[in-house]
Amino acid sequence: MNYVLALVFGGFFGFSLNKAGLTKYNKIVNVFRFTDMAVLKFMMTALVVAMSGLFALRGLGLITFPAVPATYIVGNLVGGLIFGIGMALTGY
Amino acid sequence: MKFVLNYIRKDEWSPYVAGILLGLVGIAAIWFSNHKLGASGAFENLAGMIGKAIAPKAFDTTYFNFIMPAGISWGLILLVGVFFGGMAGAATSGTLMWGKKGSANSDAQWKRIFGPQVWKRWVLAFIGAIILEYAAGIAGGCTSGLAISGGMLLAPAAFLFIAGMFASGILTALVIYRKQY
Repeated sequence: MNYVLALVFGGFFGFSLNKAGLTKYNKIVNVFRFTDMAVLKFMMTALVVAMSGLFALRGLGLITFPAVPATYIVGNLVGGLIFGIGMALTGY
Repeated sequence: MKFVLNYIRKDEWSPYVAGILLGLVGIAAIWFSNHKLGASGAFENLAGMIGKAIAPKAFDTTYFNFIMPAGISWGLILLVGVFFGGMAGAATSGTLMWGKKGSANSDAQWKRIFGPQVWKRWVLAFIGAIILEYAAGIAGGCTSGLAISGGMLLAPAAFLFIAGMFASGILTALVIYRKQY
């Protein structure tokens, strides 16, 4: 059952990525060139919607959060720095 | 209703609308499955499974046993869904390039910068993907798993990651595009 849900959520995830144009090389690279900010608009909208929804639901006692990603200041930062190179190179 | 159907057929949505959809999916995933949306971890699960089948000794490490357990994970199924969801998105807007001529390298901007050769696209995608997966392993997630899903839970790690990602992404774009930046 959980796997069926995963398939459905994944479907919507991929659908929204495609419709926002994030499956295209130029969209991803152009955010780094400041000519098309669609990636940021998309990411931040998703963040704000999910943040407010999740914290409201937790406040109502309906959900408990899964493990929050651990903070390793150097690891997260260095990982992000290397990730950016790959991201600008491939347009992932 | 007709308006909604027409909007689904549109090639490119407003990023705000698509973002709301992803946000709702993120909430649903945590509510109903208690899992975060992520992409890079699934490749590590899969790599661990293949590695264990080929060289069980070399892959018998803490990493592949406990941190990223090998096997079919929730994230791997999610990734299958992402693949078909993306295809469905392209199919509804009539831009699905499956099996069509020139589909391997169809991006006009990419061709302008790197050239029209298909093999170049494959090689760069392969090298870039290695960098991406390696970095995601260090940071503990990728754009979706750490930046978006972690950010939803207000994890400090996510915002550190986003800062690093944009800093080096902008620099790399500068180097690649040089005068055309």
